[in-house]
Order: sequence, then structure tokens, then C-alpha cells
Amino acid sequence: MNQTVVSYLSKYEFYDSLLALFGNNQGVLAFTIYLLLALIIVGMCATIGGLGTYAERKISADLQARVGPNRVGPYGLLQFLADGVKMMTKEDIMPFTADKTLFYLAPLLCLTGVFATLAVLPFSGGFIMADLNVGIFYLVAISSLVGLGVFLGGYASNSKWSMLGGMRGASQIISYEIPVTISILAIVLLAGGMGFGTIVGQQGGLPHQWFLFHNPFAFMAFFVYSVGALAETNRAPFDLPEAESELVSGYHTEYTGMRFGFFALAEYIEVFVVCGVAASLFLGGYNIPGISIDILPIQAVQFVVFMTKTLLLYYVVIWIRWTLPRLRVDQLMSVCWKYLTPIAILNLMGCAIWMVVFNGKSIAELVLGGH
Amino acid sequence: MMNLYSYLIISLILFVVGLVVMIARKNIVAILLGIELILNASALNFVAYSRYVTNNLDGHIFSLFIIVIAAAEAAVGLAIVIRFFQIKETIHIDEATQLRN
Amino acid sequence: MFLQLLFISSALLTVLCAIGVLMVKNIMHSCVFLLGSLLGVAGLYATLGADFVAVTQIMVYVGGVVILMLFAVMLTGGKDFISRAQNLLGLPASMGNKLTYGVGLLVGLVFVLTNIKLLMGIAQTIPSKMINNEFPSTVSQIGHLLVKDHVLAFEISSVLLLGALVGAAIIARPRKQN
Repeated sequence: MNQTVVSYLSKYEFYDSLLALFGNNQGVLAFTIYLLLALIIVGMCATIGGLGTYAERKISADLQARVGPNRVGPYGLLQFLADGVKMMTKEDIMPFTADKTLFYLAPLLCLTGVFATLAVLPFSGGFIMADLNVGIFYLVAISSLVGLGVFLGGYASNSKWSMLGGMRGASQIISYEIPVTISILAIVLLAGGMGFGTIVGQQGGLPHQWFLFHNPFAFMAFFVYSVGALAETNRAPFDLPEAESELVSGYHTEYTGMRFGFFALAEYIEVFVVCGVAASLFLGGYNIPGISIDILPIQAVQFVVFMTKTLLLYYVVIWIRWTLPRLRVDQLMSVCWKYLTPIAILNLMGCAIWMVVFNGKSIAELVLGGH
Repeated sequence: MMNLYSYLIISLILFVVGLVVMIARKNIVAILLGIELILNASALNFVAYSRYVTNNLDGHIFSLFIIVIAAAEAAVGLAIVIRFFQIKETIHIDEATQLRN
Repeated sequence: MFLQLLFISSALLTVLCAIGVLMVKNIMHSCVFLLGSLLGVAGLYATLGADFVAVTQIMVYVGGVVILMLFAVMLTGGKDFISRAQNLLGLPASMGNKLTYGVGLLVGLVFVLTNIKLLMGIAQTIPSKMINNEFPSTVSQIGHLLVKDHVLAFEISSVLLLGALVGAAIIARPRKQN
């Protein structure tokens, strides 16, 4: 059965009193809970995406020995709100020769693809909208809407920069989906399930219980996943679709105002999502070391643990962006097809062989005698 | 409302629309779109029968294979379309009259 | 309740977008309508409790086939060319004229009527089973079926995919200038 947040909450007594409040109407109560939680998650992630732009500017300033934004609010913290207001009040310009329908559709597709992934992201043991038993597969599948949005945005703008950016974006995203998916498959093999609850539940709070240190192949799979995820989110050093020095700003050259804001927001939230996936697949997710009881306050601690891991990875992503130079297009494709994909397939086979030979035990269990 | 017949009717509509697309459109890519619709109609039928008639998962397996075959068909078909465009500089189906050269 | 809402919206999406594929002249818009139709079919799979098939549908079609179609449209110019050829009736062949749509609809109608005639005979023999609304996980069962009962088809499909991959690469490769 698929676990959802409603089925989790129904374990507690206050659910019954809530149910009485809604006149014993299960459907309406479930709908209300889902709606509230969806609003909370979308609002939270939009804030994280907004703060991401601030973090990006602040960290890049730090790496380049500058100060960065420091005028709006304390330490410039409200800079992202100012940017947001600026974006919303800008004039919405559409090129005369643009394909109107697709031009409107493209940013929405990007945003839909990213927000749809938030439904299965495990913030904590109970604070997960729907723990589908095809969770990670669903996430990979629905996030390919972003590639489509990038491509359509590039096509619909009817400008050469956008066209080149869109073509590059789509080819990059569908190419790098392969090593990413195969690396995830190796972890699915170790966990014995595709639901996030299963995958995180198979790991522990301490590093030697993480899938990252389960075996050497899983360790390599983490790095293949990281490189592939960077490329899938169009982050530097793989930001060819929006390479400023060659393509003005790629597929969103012609977009202004809030439509451009949608693209930017989708990109920052997607980075958060792939960091969260990496944290829950490889780094133990929301598990707290040494605590296995399940009461409601623990959920808050689990949430903090998950967010800490995810935001640390987010920092690394920004760090990489301001450290490494951009690749060329041919290098991009050869990295994917000649190196990452064979390595990912080897990892998958290695994990399968490890599971058979060592009976599913991790290195730590083999060394420490196992339990 | 949610019974076998409603699924069958939806699948029938998909199939007929796919067929009409294949017959009516002259663009080779559009014909491939029609084929995708037809394959989807058949896969939907398999899953619907699997739930409402046999109650096992063989229908799911069948529709998985249909999806696989549709992907392979799209890849090869579009490769042929691109090759055809390189030779004829059009993707009109009526221009496809030669088997060689 | 939710299930019925999902069913109605998916069914409407599927049917309307399929008709959109047929009616829209712009091939790029046709591809986007196809995307909507395929997403609707994925929703219908979800109402049937086929979670794995639904997600596979999204994965393969949204991430693969539709983007491939859009690529092909762009690489072939993205617009419809006027053909110099004539069709069987000697009419100038355009991008689907009234005649072709008429013939298509007629064939479709004949097909529908024949099938309804056939199906009505079969439908009376189908036993009506009690359907419980529980949706058990299909993932592990599908996994077992794929490597036990249907292992031959599984292996053959892998060979088919390899063949399609190599074949597509060879066919689409630019011709050598000699």
C-alpha cells in the first residue's frame, strides 16, 4: 500500500477529533490536509528557491573575496524579495514572431515538473505528501517535464540564441538522464524498493549505515549521480543551455518579468530537489543517529536533519559553480556517453554482484561482524 | 461510471483518432504521432482488462512491452524521417516514392 | 471520490488532446497535444491501480518520445512543405485536405461500428467480478513476473532495443561525402 501523510496522521488520537470536527467526512478531511500541506511545501520551497538566489550571490561573493548584496535588510537577506517584486512589476514582453501558445506554456511546464517532484520528497518520516511505492521512479519521470519546458521555451521564442539554448538543454537533459537513472537503480537494488520510505528506512543515522558507504560501487554511484544531477539542472560547469558568453542567456533570452522568474525559480528549486534526493538516497535521509522511536516531536528533528544534509549539498553545488570552468558541447556529450554511462552500468552490475556474493551486507557489517 | 466500458470507449476514441491522423495527415512525423496514439489505445485496453476481467498483472506486463516497442519504433521512425529529409528536403509522405537512392 | 475526479479529468484530457492532435495544423502544437494525451493515459493507468505502468508511461513518453518528436520536427524544418507530387486521385497533395479527413473519419466510423458489433457479442460472456478499491503495490509483482513468467519476452525486448538503438544511429548518420 502507498503510505501518505493522511495515513500517517491517522495513527494519532487527534486525527479522530479532527475527523469529528469535519463531520466524520474522511474525504473532506484528507483533502484539507493535502491542500494545507501542499501549500506549506510549495511556499517553503519557493522561499528556499528565493533564498537560493541570495545564497548564490553571497557565496560567490565570499569565494571571490567580495561582500555581495548587503543593502536590503540585515546582511542583505531581503534581497530576493526585492528581486521578486522587481520581476513581478516588469513589463511582460513577447517577441512578435513568437509561437504564442508554446511561449506561455514553456515556463509553466518547467514549474509544474519541479513542483510535482515535491510530492514524494521525504522531508521526514511523516512529513512526506505521498510515499508512493514507485517514489524515486516517479520523481525521475515527472522531472523530465523540465527538459520539455526548456526545449519548448527555446523553440517558441523564435530567436537564434533561444533555439540553440533549447536544443542544447534538451539534448543535455535527456542524455544525462541515463547515468543518473542507472545510478539510482543501483541504490534501488540495495534497498529492495523504489519508495522513499523503503530506501531511507534501509539506512541508518550513522555514516557507516548510509548507502554511500555500503560498498565501493554505491560510493562511485554517488559521484556519477552528482555529476549527472548537476548537468540535469543546467548548473555550472554544465550550464551550456544558458551560457552567458556564447548564447546571451540561452533558452530564456526572450523571457521577461515573471515568466523569466518562473524559469529561475524552477531551476533553483530543482537544485534543492536533486540535493534532497541525493541526501535521502545516499546520505541516510532523515534518519537521526541512535533514535528509532516514532513520536510527533521527533518528526521536527528529522526534518532538521534532512534539511541540514540537503542544504550542505546545496552549498557544494554553488561552490562548484563558482570554481569550475564551463565545458564545451563535445566535451559535455563525451563525458556523458563515454565515461558516465559505462561507469554507471558497471556500478549497477557491481552492486548486483555484491548483493549476491556478500548476501546484502555492507562493508561496515562485514568488518564489524554484522548484526 | 468507472467501469470496463468507459475505459473501452476512451481507448476506442484514441484508436479512431490515431487512425484518422494516420490517414489524413501528410506529414510523416504526424503519422508517427498517430501510431503512438494507436499503441496507447491498445495498451490502455490491456490494463483495463487486466483490472476488470482477469485480475492479474499479465496485462500490465503486456502494456509495458507495448511502451518499449513504441519507444523503439519512434526512435527508428524518426531516424528514417531525418534521413528522408536529408535526401528529399521534405517530409511529405507523397514524396516517398523511391526504394533506392 | 478522488478517484472519480482523477478519472474524469484524465479521460477529458486524453480525449480532448487526442482530438487536438488531429485538428491542429501546426505539427509542433500537435506534438504538445500528444503530450497532453499521453499524460491523460498515464492518469487513466493510475485510476486502474497500475502505478508502475503509469510512471513508465510518463518516463518513456514525456522524457523520451515527445522530445524526440520535437527534435525531429525541428531538424526537418518545423513547417509543412508543399509537395510537388500528386496523390492517387490526381489532386494536389496538401497537408491533409477535406478529402483525406473525410476518408479517415469514414474508415474510423466503419471500424467503430464493426467493433461495437463484435464487442457486444463478447461483452455478454465477460463475467462481472467484484472489484475492491484496494490498490496493492504492483512493483514487486511485476518484477517477479518479468523475470519468471515473461523472461523470454523480456530478453527479446532487450535485443529489440539494442537493434533499434544501433539501427537508428546508423540510419540517421550523415552520409559520407566522397
